[in-house]
Amino acid sequence: MTEASETRTHGINMDALERPVGPSDLANEEIALEVSNLDLHYGSSQALYGVNMVIPKNRVTAFIGPSGCGKSTLLRCFNRMNDLVDGCQIKGEIKLHEEDIYHKRVNVANLRRRIGMVFQKPNPFPKSVYENVAYGLRIQGVNDKRKLDEAVEKALRGAALWDEMKDRLNDNALGMSGGQQQRLVIARAIAIEPEVMLLDEPASALDPISTLKIEELIYELKQNYTIIIVTHNMQQAARVSDYTAFMYMGKLIEHADTNTLFTNPSEKQTEDYITGRYG
Amino acid sequence: MPSPDSQQKNSGNSLIQSEGFYFRFRMFMDKFMRFGVAFGGISIIIAITLIFAYLLVVVFPIFHSAEIKQESSFSLSASSQPIAVTEQSKQDLSAEDQITEDPSRPKILHLAMEEQNEVGLRVTETGQLLFFDTRSGETKFTHVPNLPKGVSVTSFGNADPATTTIALGLSNGHALVYRHKYRVTFPNDKRLITPVIETPLGAEPILIDTQDEALTHIDVQSNDEGLTLVAGTADKRLLLVAFTKEESLLEETETFERIGIELPSPATPITHLLVDKDQRELYVASEGGYITFFDIQDKAEPKLLQHLTVTDSGSELTALNSLTGGISILVGTSDGQLAQWSLVRNENNQEQLVKYREFESHSAAIVKIIPEFNRKGFLTFDESGLFGIYHTTAENTILRRTLSSANIDNIALSPRANAMSVFTKNNQYSLWSIDNEHPEISWSSLWGKVWYESHEEPKYLWQSSSADNDFEPKFSLVPISFGTLKAAFYAMMIAVPLAIMGAIFTAQFMSPNMRKTVKPSIEIMEALPTVILGFLAGLWLAPFVEDNLVGIFLMLLAMPVGVLIAAYTWQRLPQKFRFMVPEGWEGALLIPAILLIGWVTLSLGPYLEMWWFDGDITQYGKHLGPWLDRNLYLVIAGLLFPWAFLLVTRSEKFGQQLNKIKSEFYQSALTLGVSIVVVVIIGALLSPIVESLLFDGDVAGYLKDSTIAFDQRNSIVVGLAMGFAVIPTIFSIAEDALFAVPKHLIQGSLALGATQWQTLTRVVILTASPGIFSAVMIGLGRAVGETMIVLMATGNTPVMDFSIFQGMRTLSANIAVEMPESEVDSTHYRVLFLAALVLFAFTFLFNTMAEIVRQRLRRKYSSL
Repeated sequence: MTEASETRTHGINMDALERPVGPSDLANEEIALEVSNLDLHYGSSQALYGVNMVIPKNRVTAFIGPSGCGKSTLLRCFNRMNDLVDGCQIKGEIKLHEEDIYHKRVNVANLRRRIGMVFQKPNPFPKSVYENVAYGLRIQGVNDKRKLDEAVEKALRGAALWDEMKDRLNDNALGMSGGQQQRLVIARAIAIEPEVMLLDEPASALDPISTLKIEELIYELKQNYTIIIVTHNMQQAARVSDYTAFMYMGKLIEHADTNTLFTNPSEKQTEDYITGRYG
Repeated sequence: MPSPDSQQKNSGNSLIQSEGFYFRFRMFMDKFMRFGVAFGGISIIIAITLIFAYLLVVVFPIFHSAEIKQESSFSLSASSQPIAVTEQSKQDLSAEDQITEDPSRPKILHLAMEEQNEVGLRVTETGQLLFFDTRSGETKFTHVPNLPKGVSVTSFGNADPATTTIALGLSNGHALVYRHKYRVTFPNDKRLITPVIETPLGAEPILIDTQDEALTHIDVQSNDEGLTLVAGTADKRLLLVAFTKEESLLEETETFERIGIELPSPATPITHLLVDKDQRELYVASEGGYITFFDIQDKAEPKLLQHLTVTDSGSELTALNSLTGGISILVGTSDGQLAQWSLVRNENNQEQLVKYREFESHSAAIVKIIPEFNRKGFLTFDESGLFGIYHTTAENTILRRTLSSANIDNIALSPRANAMSVFTKNNQYSLWSIDNEHPEISWSSLWGKVWYESHEEPKYLWQSSSADNDFEPKFSLVPISFGTLKAAFYAMMIAVPLAIMGAIFTAQFMSPNMRKTVKPSIEIMEALPTVILGFLAGLWLAPFVEDNLVGIFLMLLAMPVGVLIAAYTWQRLPQKFRFMVPEGWEGALLIPAILLIGWVTLSLGPYLEMWWFDGDITQYGKHLGPWLDRNLYLVIAGLLFPWAFLLVTRSEKFGQQLNKIKSEFYQSALTLGVSIVVVVIIGALLSPIVESLLFDGDVAGYLKDSTIAFDQRNSIVVGLAMGFAVIPTIFSIAEDALFAVPKHLIQGSLALGATQWQTLTRVVILTASPGIFSAVMIGLGRAVGETMIVLMATGNTPVMDFSIFQGMRTLSANIAVEMPESEVDSTHYRVLFLAALVLFAFTFLFNTMAEIVRQRLRRKYSSL
């Protein structure tokens, strides 16, 4: 435990933990993802309406909003998971470091390697802990045992799971607790060192202690990764994020740094939502 | 119905009190249904256990060992009437055997019984034929031969027991031939058996030896066409006399043509003579354990074929008889050895006596061997009084015991082999019942190689019946079990890849709308009666395959390649065309492609056959040999190509070089080119080695005489037809398993940057593996148990040949074919039940294995 707490205090760049202040900060940030005029239709019904936003690099951006507001749909646009949905049509563009991810020559598998995703429900593969973490590397053709060992250890340490699991690497991942499974899935995602991590309500299926661990983890991960988190839980958004976007009925209502959005929202709808009038 | 108030009151007041009608009703329903489900489940288990138990009950008797029981016994000297014996003959015969306890009683030469085991016959040394009641010993009828004065009986011989013919050799060179028959009448509704004596050659003695020497040995065989007598004389000559029946068409009388000939006599004194049932072979045993074997098919010109020793040195041949059917002889020796010798054709197409097998030996000299009338078993006893029953096909000792304290003098076996008369040296006669229903079955006759009569070597054979009574039934379960597995194997070869690939595509790639049509239509294939499939396979597919053999093979090769090419072409088409087909419907485009490939290959087939094989692929060796001689290195290169390609693509050094080239097209062209060059060089280097290792250094010569033994009803037909029947089973279960793989696992894999193919092979199939495995095993269980298709499409030849061009007979088809014609409770009937039990065991084994593996896999890969 001491070792873990040490890494937490020593390994972290304390400057990065300083929360940026002031509404103009978003403009000063380095941009990781840029969304412009994004419309999305599921068959005949429209789910997203002209979304324009920028996601700052190495920051945590939270998407909040009532159920069905399109925040998960938007999240899934970033790694093109919506491609798997029948009848999904997308207009507009999303740029990852100036590259359009919806260009027809984009290799989707490559894109997803660069933009990792963690789902609401923990979904480890029915394999060992080790194989779960090594999966992303193996599918890229890395089979060197030494490289894999290193990467697995690094990823498990990164997901604060190494001390718990280092003696149980060959156990089936399905035998772990829900919180451990979710951290394993995060380890699996960071093992391939993506640039962006998409977290789709990562703690909603977990107990409060596991949730706390995940939140601490997010806190640490943002030094190296751009993180987008979708959450139902406004307190969670307030705790972990640097920027927050509020969505409602498929539209982006407000996007600002977290302090501003929660303390001084500029839109009436935002205020209604965060004060609990609906949602 | 109680009012809502009272219900509320009840539930509010107490947990135990429950008076509401509805409450009691649903409790009752719950209990009733629980009982119903339990009852149904247990009933099914009981029903299956009962089927299993019934099979066992029917099968069990074939493993039951024989039993004998004494039915009655009496002293012969007391009940037999005094017999007038001439002084002279008595002296002659009793001189041989001084041990006889009762010198006043004439020695018994032969004992016999009739079919109902009621009347026995004994032939005494005075030539009398005494018929007696087997239970009381009362003499029913005595026949006294009319012998000239001073002439005595000097030898005795009996023919195949079924013909009931016996011969008495006389001291004046004459012989008497009798047949004992039994007339059954039913006066007052009671069975009365009257013995009748027939004299096929007349009542008077007939002349055998023109020199009037005493006949010391004699043997006889007779059938409808004639009668053969062989005799050894006191001055050591060997005589053969044959009587051929000639029927005059006009006068309806029978006359006999007599041929008498002297045969070369063996060097040592003759001990036994034996003519086979068909009067074609003569075995002459002589002192020193020799047998001289003559071919006497042509009575005028007998041929000496073989002269050999059949005993160990130092021992003598003491008993000789032929096994029923007359193909084998049974030899007993003075040191207690028992062996079966039989005729086998050698390379020069000449029949030779070969020792087939030995039986458990006795410790004393064998006295007599008594064959069963229509089974391949025999009885024997030795000088120490040990009695034994053996069976040749089963290579089995069925029973061995001592029957009485006194030594056995003679034994007669009932024609039905269910009783025997035993006469002991202390003048006791006894009737025994024999319970020996299924001697021909033993572990070795069911599962081992058995050396059947008239076969060159031990074999696995199934041949259960024939027109002949003397037929040796061949009940080896090996060829039909083999056939079952072979049929299942070829069916699975077709069904497993198609069904599983189809299931994968349907579950993972097909659009939901298309899946809605495809899945039920494949499942409805299962509802197709297999008899229709079998009918189509036998009557349409089999001739079709025969006519289009090359086309079919070409299709099997071209189909996967063609489908891949079609898929690749589709991917390379401009998007304009590709978007014309909605996502997930691309599979439908394969239908015309498959039809086209099928049509092209089938129509090319005859031309290719003409071009490559001169129009007859079954003679492929003549053409393939020279071709392979020239192109062996290319064939090796082709076989090695996939490995070389993998190696080249995996090579890091090559990869580094390759990365310098920008164009993707040139990269792949270079990879391909390098792989081809590498394999061609390897092929050229390896071809002489392969040629010398596999083809003795000369491909053309080695393959010159290779042909295909083609059977129209063959494994291709069965594989296609039964594969078609098994596909729906495997497809349906595997598809369910694959479709049930949680979507979040697939998404998790895709979100990690895996391609669809990687997701499929590393996550989906792994997670669905328990279901896919049970699908395959259930399909295998079905293929093993399938009856109608194999019955109609395999030709039902129980051959042990794995060739794809040969048919087979399966356990299930065998039962279906033979059960209706088998006699209830016969050995054949019970063996068929045993086959059913084996089939049951097969499916039980497969299903249990499937279940165990499935449980394991499920524990390992249980979905979330």
